[in-house]
Amino acid sequence: MKKKTLALLLCATTVFAMAGCGNQGSSSSGNVDENGVTTDDITLTYWHYEDETTMQLLAEAFMEKYPNITVETRQISDMSTDLSAAATAGTFPDVFAGTDVDTALANQYWRDITEYWNNDPENQNLMATINEYGIGCFDTNVRYAAPVWCQPSAMFVDKNVVETLNLTMPDTDWTWAEMIDFIKTATQGSGNDKYYGLGYYNRLDSLYGIAAVSSDVRRIKGEFGFNGTDYDLSYWAIGEQEFADLKRAGYVAPLQGTMEMFDWLGDPDAWFGNTGHAAVASEGFWTFQNIWNTTSDDGVPYQEKYGGTDWIPYVTPNVVDEKEHNTIASMYLGGVSTSCKYPYEAYLLLKFMGWGVDGWSARMDIYEDESIVNASGVPLKQAMMPVPLTLDQTIWDRYKALFPQDADHKPYWDDYFDSITRPVPFGWQSIAGYWNFCDQYFNKIGIHDLVDNGSAQAADYAEEATRQANYYHAEAMISYFGPKGYDILSEDEIAQYEALIASFTQ
Amino acid sequence: MSKEKKVKDPRGKLGKLEKREARVGYFFVAPWLIGVALFLLYPLCQSFYYMWFNIRITPLQTVYTYVGTGNFTQIWLENPEFPQQIVTYLWQTIVEVPIIVVFALMIAIMLNGKIKCRGLFRLIFFLPVIIVSGPVMNMLVTEGAASIPALNTESIMTAFDAFLPTSLAESITEIFADMIMILWYSGVQILIFLSALQKIDSAMYEAASMDGASGWESFWKITLPTIKPYILLNAVYSVIFLSSNEQNELITMIQSAMFSGTKEKGYGYAAAMAWMYAVIVTLIVLLFFLLLGSKKDMYDRQVKRRQRAVKKEARLVKKIERRGKRNAKKIERARQKRKYKTYSGESDY
Repeated sequence: MKKKTLALLLCATTVFAMAGCGNQGSSSSGNVDENGVTTDDITLTYWHYEDETTMQLLAEAFMEKYPNITVETRQISDMSTDLSAAATAGTFPDVFAGTDVDTALANQYWRDITEYWNNDPENQNLMATINEYGIGCFDTNVRYAAPVWCQPSAMFVDKNVVETLNLTMPDTDWTWAEMIDFIKTATQGSGNDKYYGLGYYNRLDSLYGIAAVSSDVRRIKGEFGFNGTDYDLSYWAIGEQEFADLKRAGYVAPLQGTMEMFDWLGDPDAWFGNTGHAAVASEGFWTFQNIWNTTSDDGVPYQEKYGGTDWIPYVTPNVVDEKEHNTIASMYLGGVSTSCKYPYEAYLLLKFMGWGVDGWSARMDIYEDESIVNASGVPLKQAMMPVPLTLDQTIWDRYKALFPQDADHKPYWDDYFDSITRPVPFGWQSIAGYWNFCDQYFNKIGIHDLVDNGSAQAADYAEEATRQANYYHAEAMISYFGPKGYDILSEDEIAQYEALIASFTQ
Repeated sequence: MSKEKKVKDPRGKLGKLEKREARVGYFFVAPWLIGVALFLLYPLCQSFYYMWFNIRITPLQTVYTYVGTGNFTQIWLENPEFPQQIVTYLWQTIVEVPIIVVFALMIAIMLNGKIKCRGLFRLIFFLPVIIVSGPVMNMLVTEGAASIPALNTESIMTAFDAFLPTSLAESITEIFADMIMILWYSGVQILIFLSALQKIDSAMYEAASMDGASGWESFWKITLPTIKPYILLNAVYSVIFLSSNEQNELITMIQSAMFSGTKEKGYGYAAAMAWMYAVIVTLIVLLFFLLLGSKKDMYDRQVKRRQRAVKKEARLVKKIERRGKRNAKKIERARQKRKYKTYSGESDY
């Protein structure tokens, strides 16, 4: 009898435990206020790539605005893994910002938010390319996502190096050719005391692909000369070759972890950014606030302590002399998930966390208060702070004030910020099929290495690479937006992409 | 006619007490059975089913598209990394397993001897198994703690590269680069060998010693033959461990393919990879089984032959008994029908 009782107890416990694993779903009662926002108590989940402390504080600000909405945030460590696991487990976030659009589109993670976007007047006052190029629409008429985080590329010039070498600072609206000349002029000396014209994190060919031509000639809205329908890698090839030639001619500082770096500075792990011996840096925008603008524990500014550098920002130049031109940028796109039960509220959350003026106002409060630090003890403006996507003047005035304000530096920063209003995201962040092209063709043949070491000319690859890129794009467009995907393409569009695929396979 | 008491067949119907005991037995093994069904058989069948499909998991539904052998052709034709990793894995496993087993045996023999602080040394050699697992191992490898700093692996690579294909030379060099880690993998094997060594009857060593056998001879004639089954066990354990631990690039690759969001990869693609990998691991285990599996000696063969003869004899006896019973029944039936006349003794026969 005792054993039977024990067995029954065990069974009951198992049943209750299993029941606890179930999805605690909720359903909308349909009550909304005058703005169309639900009055029910709901919970929205927001997954992101930003600093978690910043996002939590922003979520709190959102919850103050909408007290009946609870927001739970989570930092994504790997988009594919985290979201696939969440989709399998039925715990998919309501809103998420991602880095890889192919993953999001292939699995229909994002829902159509066109109506919300188009009916929101605030969205007209954003950085121009967002609406002009339909960033987040992926060359369809439907908006699935919107940029929520942006850091444009930047070229930094070390003012101390310029003064040491008795050169003059270049104009802030320099052209591509002027930049290359400056790099060559600033390369001086030899051995351990050598000054390099350029140190890089971002390869110049990535930047050149966007800066290569005036919009009047080709409306480049993505890497590799992508104009929304097809690629033209001949632009990329010029930049690739030019960069490789600079490297082989000794104008470019060695990378970390190489024998060349060891030969230069005696330490293979040294970084050109704190040597005081590199004139121009093709760096991520975040490098300034995250590294160069920090202060060490003993109160000495980083730049003073390491290398005595004085980095000034310059916009990535254009080939033609246009003040307003496109700049490549790292942009995270965010969207409302297809499984979300409160899409409008989720859209409001996405906007608040990404590009909305209210959200950015809350962000500025957070960034301006340097006593607020993240889990690593770093003030939040030094934790991958993005640039505002809104063009709201108040926000921009507050934002600019976070950067050096002295007379020597402020004009440069102001010029830089004025010239980055046309960001174009990297390919994997905005173009369908881009990742497949890189994975299956571009990276596989190792073009960068071949051209860098002089065993091949970039131009020789341009035609075939263009053909391959167009094929992968067409294939992805049909797969993502055709009948087996979102099913929004017209018959003509499908026929057009199919013809391209057919011509490739012949 | 005396009625023979019917002897209960032990394999027949169970009694009440036996039934109850059986129920309790099943109850106690139930967690294991449920675990095997849920976490082994079900995923096994599921992954076998998955490998024929392209699977997309959207937030709303799971979309299965039948691709037949499409996943396999894609893996072999469009993913050059997989075949490369398989070759590397094969070489590394075939070379690393003997190193681990021999090292474990040497340490086990030493730890089985009469030495001071024996318990402490046993603890030290088993400690990596407890602490160096998962993230700790990854961190140590990243920090370079798994390699011997004084070992110039580049020279080794150059030496092997001169007469071996580069991929093979790289595989062998990696073994030298990760030598400490390989030795760390020996903890469980040392424990298994220790228990095997302790089971050997010390009288055998005494007898051998009295017959003039040296320690070296005793090792080859007594120790090694006795623990031979454990060598196979440890080899199989090492193969399984090397094939499934987090340092294995193939495991990382399968995991990455499983969670990949690209339209070609996903669960189906990863399942196809995993099954092909499982077949390769099984072949390696089979290889070690063929190499180390015990071949029966003369005495074993004689015993087996004798056992077979006894069984055959028993079967013959049973056959004769059954035939005798059948004949007896036939005679009885005929007698009852009075077909047979039995001699009463009254007249001439």
